[in-house]
Amino acid sequence: MRCAECRDALTSYVDGELMPEEAETMRDHLASCAACAAEHEMLQSLSRRLREGLARPRAPDVLKARIRSALSQSTGVLADVTTPGRPWTGLLVAGALIAVVSGGASFAVARREASRPAIAEQVLSSHLRSLMPGHLTLVPRLDSAGFPLAGGRLDYVGGRTVATVVYVRRQHVINVFSWPTEDRTAHTPVTSIEKGYHVVHWSDGGVELWVASDLNARELEQFVTLYRRE
Amino acid sequence: MAHREVESFERLVLPHLDDAYALACHLLRDEHDAQDVVQEAVLRALRYFDGFRDGDARAWLLAIVRNCCYTWQRRYRTDGLSVSYADAETSSQLRGTDTDAGAIRSSDSAVIDRAVASLPPEFREVIVLRELQELSYREISQITGVPMGTVMSRLARARKRLASSLGLLIEEAS
Repeated sequence: MRCAECRDALTSYVDGELMPEEAETMRDHLASCAACAAEHEMLQSLSRRLREGLARPRAPDVLKARIRSALSQSTGVLADVTTPGRPWTGLLVAGALIAVVSGGASFAVARREASRPAIAEQVLSSHLRSLMPGHLTLVPRLDSAGFPLAGGRLDYVGGRTVATVVYVRRQHVINVFSWPTEDRTAHTPVTSIEKGYHVVHWSDGGVELWVASDLNARELEQFVTLYRRE
Repeated sequence: MAHREVESFERLVLPHLDDAYALACHLLRDEHDAQDVVQEAVLRALRYFDGFRDGDARAWLLAIVRNCCYTWQRRYRTDGLSVSYADAETSSQLRGTDTDAGAIRSSDSAVIDRAVASLPPEFREVIVLRELQELSYREISQITGVPMGTVMSRLARARKRLASSLGLLIEEAS
């Protein structure tokens, strides 16, 4: 093998892309040519430096949350609620949303079987209840306070479907879970720590709320205060 | 889209979000743009998921991310892809601001990032796909849409430039 041939194939050799017999010829040449061996050594150490040194940024939680929110939209559930890249602008009718969605999952089935009047009745009664004074739950817009809205989704907590509203603070995701409760008494927020995450819990006139985030306690409590004020 | 399809998409494609984001960061040199582009690419991937049967979901996603990056550049940037972003500010931005992300790396990293950032885009992408994502020539060829021979020659030229900017170049005896 001549040096010119060797240099042409050296990149492929370093990347392990040569055929076995070509690699064999290459090894023989490198063993006998100091100049080519030095070039080979240089390429290998460059490759090592790149692998160790190149920035390997990981997708931030905020991006993952945005993508999951957009994907949940694509299943047809929450179709009009979230739009990728644009914050959620409408109202969220918490009680009605939960009822509509638990009904929504059964919708196709009900149509096929034509025998699910119970669900339809529940949906309708939830809808009517939501229209009564005091039953509209607004989703607070806290963008100006530095807590932009990232989206919303449905989740399961304690065996029930709950509405989840997602806010962000820098790289931190804040999930607000809420569902209707029979207990009409208000409980003030209590912060606890679970596995290194902050969890805040309170209830407000028939709605139970839980907030979870890896944001620090001070800013999370500030968030809760703003959320409850809105 | 059916729930089962979305679930299958999530299982196959979402594990590669970190790789997708890293590629977008290196191609766009801006983490906010990279987030927008990766989100757009994933939604586009979902739309074309019907056409994806078997094969490597990671290479498939990366190809879509790459195309979205270039479309994004054409749409929003007048400076185009040929501009090199070699300033330290961009480099530290790329590195991310999370202190708990295990991002403590050697001081060599800043030098490496600057050198790679100043490569022309067609060289930068093969270096990132090869050295960071550790893809084969065949996979890189599929992602970039150029023949394997071109992948090889771009890698060779990219490394020559890097060796030169990192002060590794050996003087040719000729």
